Amino acid sequence: MSMTSQKPIPPRPNALGLKGWVYAGRYSFERYLYLLHRLTGVGLIVYLLLHIIETGQRLAGEGAWTALMALFATPLFKFMEYVLFAAFVFHALNGVRLKLTELGFFLGRPAQPVYPYPSSVKRHRPLTYVLMILAALTIVLGGSSLFF
Amino acid sequence: MRETRLWLLSLACTTLLLFLLGAHFALMHYSPVFYGQTVEETRTFAALLERGRQTAFLVIYLLFLAAALYHGLYGLRGILLELPLARSYGRWVSGALVVVGLAFFAYGTYVTWWTFTQ
Repeated sequence: MSMTSQKPIPPRPNALGLKGWVYAGRYSFERYLYLLHRLTGVGLIVYLLLHIIETGQRLAGEGAWTALMALFATPLFKFMEYVLFAAFVFHALNGVRLKLTELGFFLGRPAQPVYPYPSSVKRHRPLTYVLMILAALTIVLGGSSLFF
Repeated sequence: MRETRLWLLSLACTTLLLFLLGAHFALMHYSPVFYGQTVEETRTFAALLERGRQTAFLVIYLLFLAAALYHGLYGLRGILLELPLARSYGRWVSGALVVVGLAFFAYGTYVTWWTFTQ
């Protein structure tokens, strides 16, 4: 049987399904950042849609607005606000990393594919560490000024 | 080419959002730190109307609304299109997200314009 008579195997996009989103396997640190970026992204878009509806409460007048703001001043909503802030800070700074690397920065010069192969992920890892430390510091400082 | 343009637009939105959302958090959530005002004072109905009546805030809010909706829904589209489902599903997802985005943009614009004209 000749090789040309064989039908090509169709690609299996995202064959792991949901597991492919949460299992890093050998892809290490950046894979978890990817997962967290998605989770925070979905959280932020859901919040944005709710926020647009919520800010529309002003149309019902001052009484409705004041009652809503009183609800947001309760400890539970303060905590949720902080979670939102933390999600934004992480998503924004990890987004900066993604955009910089997508545009070709911090990846080093192109090199011959000679074993051991250079890894673009490892080349921009210092940037990753700097941005994630910055995110952690901002989240901690944000919490200290919100609660204390 | 079309996908590249959509991606570039999302990229432009992220730059805008980084500043606008940062400023929004500073004003609405961290006003004691940045403006010497309590959060409650910043969020009163009177303060809301005072800001909303300014042309600069009208422009900023509309830009913010458009950029946040576009970037958010574009990202969500990317996630949903990765699901291993039928090819025609992609068109439905994109279409539905455009409808959702336009509906929320229209509502947000109406609320912003209502505030501006008070």
